Amino acid sequence: MSALLSQDPIRPAASGLKGAIHRAFLAALPSVFAVARRVWPIPGLGSFRAVTRHDDVREVFGTDTAFRVPYQPNLNVITGGEPFFLGMDDTPEYRAGVAAMRRVVRADDLPALALRTEEAASNILSHAGGRIDVVDLARRVAFDVVAPYFGVPPPAQGRLDVWATRLFEFQFASSPKDIALRREVDEIAPAFRALIDAEIARRKSGGAGAGDDVLDRCLAQQAAGDPWYTDPQIRTSLLCMVVGGPPQWPMVVPQALEQLLQRPEALEAARSAAQASDDDRLRRIVLEAMRFDPLGPGLPRIARRDWSIAQGTRRQTKVRQGATVFVAFSSAMMDDRRVPEPRRFDTDRGAHEYIHFGYGLHECFGKHINHACLPRLLKPLLRHPNLQRAAGKEGTLTKNGIFAERLVVTF
Amino acid sequence: MLQSTLNVPLEVKPESCSRLSALIEALRQREDTGPFGQPDNFSRVMRDIPTLHFMSMSVFTAAEYDPIFILEANFDGQPGVFWGQLEAAFGPDLREMLRCCKRPLDEDGPLYDAVTASDSRAPLAPYLEARTQRPSVFHHGNRGLTRDRILQEAALFVAVREELDDPGRPGPSPYRGRSATEVHALLRKAMVPAHPWLGMSAPPRISRGERLLDILRLVTFAVLLLLAFSLPAIVVAALMPWKAYVLLLLLVATATGLLIYAKRAPLPGTETSAGPNLTRLILPKVPAILGIVAAYVVVAALVLTPLVSATSHLLAWLGAGNLPATPGDAFWPVARAVLLGLLGLLLVILPGLVLWLRYLERHDSSHDAPHVDERLLREMVRREDWVAQNHMGSIVLIKPGVLRSIIIRAGHLGLGLVLRVVATDGYLGTMRTVHFAHWAFLNNGSRLLFFSNFDHSWDSYLDDFIEKAAGGLTLAWGCGVGFPPTRFLIYDGARHGRRFKNWALASRAVSRFWYSAYPTLTVDQIERNNRIADGLRRPELSEVEARAWISDL
Repeated sequence: MSALLSQDPIRPAASGLKGAIHRAFLAALPSVFAVARRVWPIPGLGSFRAVTRHDDVREVFGTDTAFRVPYQPNLNVITGGEPFFLGMDDTPEYRAGVAAMRRVVRADDLPALALRTEEAASNILSHAGGRIDVVDLARRVAFDVVAPYFGVPPPAQGRLDVWATRLFEFQFASSPKDIALRREVDEIAPAFRALIDAEIARRKSGGAGAGDDVLDRCLAQQAAGDPWYTDPQIRTSLLCMVVGGPPQWPMVVPQALEQLLQRPEALEAARSAAQASDDDRLRRIVLEAMRFDPLGPGLPRIARRDWSIAQGTRRQTKVRQGATVFVAFSSAMMDDRRVPEPRRFDTDRGAHEYIHFGYGLHECFGKHINHACLPRLLKPLLRHPNLQRAAGKEGTLTKNGIFAERLVVTF
Repeated sequence: MLQSTLNVPLEVKPESCSRLSALIEALRQREDTGPFGQPDNFSRVMRDIPTLHFMSMSVFTAAEYDPIFILEANFDGQPGVFWGQLEAAFGPDLREMLRCCKRPLDEDGPLYDAVTASDSRAPLAPYLEARTQRPSVFHHGNRGLTRDRILQEAALFVAVREELDDPGRPGPSPYRGRSATEVHALLRKAMVPAHPWLGMSAPPRISRGERLLDILRLVTFAVLLLLAFSLPAIVVAALMPWKAYVLLLLLVATATGLLIYAKRAPLPGTETSAGPNLTRLILPKVPAILGIVAAYVVVAALVLTPLVSATSHLLAWLGAGNLPATPGDAFWPVARAVLLGLLGLLLVILPGLVLWLRYLERHDSSHDAPHVDERLLREMVRREDWVAQNHMGSIVLIKPGVLRSIIIRAGHLGLGLVLRVVATDGYLGTMRTVHFAHWAFLNNGSRLLFFSNFDHSWDSYLDDFIEKAAGGLTLAWGCGVGFPPTRFLIYDGARHGRRFKNWALASRAVSRFWYSAYPTLTVDQIERNNRIADGLRRPELSEVEARAWISDL
């Protein structure tokens, strides 16, 4: 079957011994990091290093002059070779790209986006019959809200969420040895680009858009003569935004809810905040819940030159040019040297204690969208007084690699 | 609740001193956005550094050293967390300030390079941690009350006052004519909805573990100190027949006592009117002292017995001694030697040290008219007395010599440990004006730093100290070069009020950046708020308790 017609956003998990080892490894990572932070904060072998402490994670993320992102090769596959700022160094092109997207993805859109998220979640829940898989809920809401915001329509055949999630996996969580995934990506990426190209062409030929979505704004900038907004540039930006953003929601939202379900007091606080429509309080609760099971264990960086991490300290470690450094931001958020009582669920933490969406040059572009929308996605569910886990195994979150797979609740 | 006091002393590049002062001043102007004590003033610090009670940044200049930049901080919890919060709030400002400071010559040099390199993004917290100086003595006023609890209880106090004095309430006050218990019950009912934390029991200000540790530290220090000072006497006592030993002690003690007596008088013009009466201080405590002596002898004997036994075994094995002594055999001889050693300490060693000290005191020079920079004085005065609290920082040179060095180190260590055990009620003895204060040694122990965050004006603060704790002040600060003449370590000294104040004033620096999380609250008011809050936390009070509680309203 063509990858374009796949109905499964997440590919089947590896089975057998390989799958079991992979699952056990991911499950053991928080404990491994806890030990590493104490006894070997910058572990590694050969040209691979991991940083586990809060200070070192911030140093590597923050020092983009010494550590670059490794995204460009895979991005090239997705974008067809068109440049996008996610893969760039801090160059004029990078700054121009970020500035251009900030002109069309505006801070004052956030209240409407958050409201749309809440309404979409409410709507799905009202037809769910008191039982829902939160992973599916988050995925549907994410693509119902974010894709139209950017002006990306669903494909005539196939599913946008499947396409985007597959490309997301390829970009952020794949192995070069995964030939099967690469084969799917080689089908999906051109189709995705063609889908956006067709929409651009349709709009330019007079077809109506949503009125004021990001694509409309890009085309308005183009019409006004801004040279940055070429058709390929617009297509690439929209493609990368939809691939990079919405697939995160079905990962972190169920993970956050799972953490709340494990903590009755925190769940009660979240319910109260949802009932009182105290969105800021709910945002704090959800961010804190995410700290216990964030988007992923970490992100890679490549040393662009020889560098000493934690220079001048006893853990100072030299990395050679070209070395891969795994930046364990999940570990950083549990480092009691900088995060007070990290095992305590504390909704009054300082913003600097969270590194959910990266830090520095390549901090997630959609961070503010996530902050505004993720709590609102959970809000309608939390408002139900009878929210609880479904009976049996499906009432506990299961994962497939770094992806949340299933968490069924009743309400 | 763990609370921390520390400072980070950093030597400044002389050519960057003005720039550093300007950077600190700019930071103050940015954060100090309104009338001191108003809600929006220092609001970013309040929000981003929620553990912080007091913080200051000062640059001290001196003729003998290059300028020194000192960041003083008093906060709740662990230092690592605080440094992270401070960096999140002021990272770029602090990095610029660090660039004005010298590169350390020790192993922290590479860390300095990492954080100050052009375009560096290395975290600053590790460097600040590495350069942190622990205080030699510190006092925490309102001990055990976190910043948030102080603010919470202050808000409760305001609410209580508004409830009691509500002018908009029709008819007579419901509190009028009620008994104390009824007022308590009514007020609690009125306060709980807006202050739900009143429904929970208060966390202990000083946990049992912390208290036990404080006492254990003091006892350990006392035993080790006595043991160390009496060790020469213990050795002599072990080698001599006890009668001969006691006779020798008496002879030496008589000679030393006569010499001390001869030198006891103050030098002409240096006597002050009053001083602590040691006899009156010590006499009532004789039974306790005897108990402590007995405990010391037992503990010291227990510590030394295994050492003696092990040594005798070693000597026997080497063929240099008689039969090895078992710990059981060695205990009583060791205990006797410890007791005789203590006697030697009291009759010979201590008097000998006092005589030596008295010799030094009689040859000390005091700085009666220290130079005070008028411009700096004006700056200091301009920043003081805006709110109930003030801040001072001072650095003095320490007098040289082995004895002074031992006295000041052992004295500070002991004083600090005693304060932890004694000052547990929120106050520093009878002084009710000190929030957070500390001393620390700088420059390899050649300078002594003092910081204090206190209530009322600088003048009245020092007057309070001179009046109520001149002995302690003289003990702690008397080692400073130029300090007014002292006698037997605790007499005179700070009691030369005017001279002491001049000396202290000359050692001060402008507190260019000073932050208080609750600038309008005095130590007394914080304790009062705490008593009111503790009363309201309890669902019921007896009539006697309620009467005591209501007096705070």
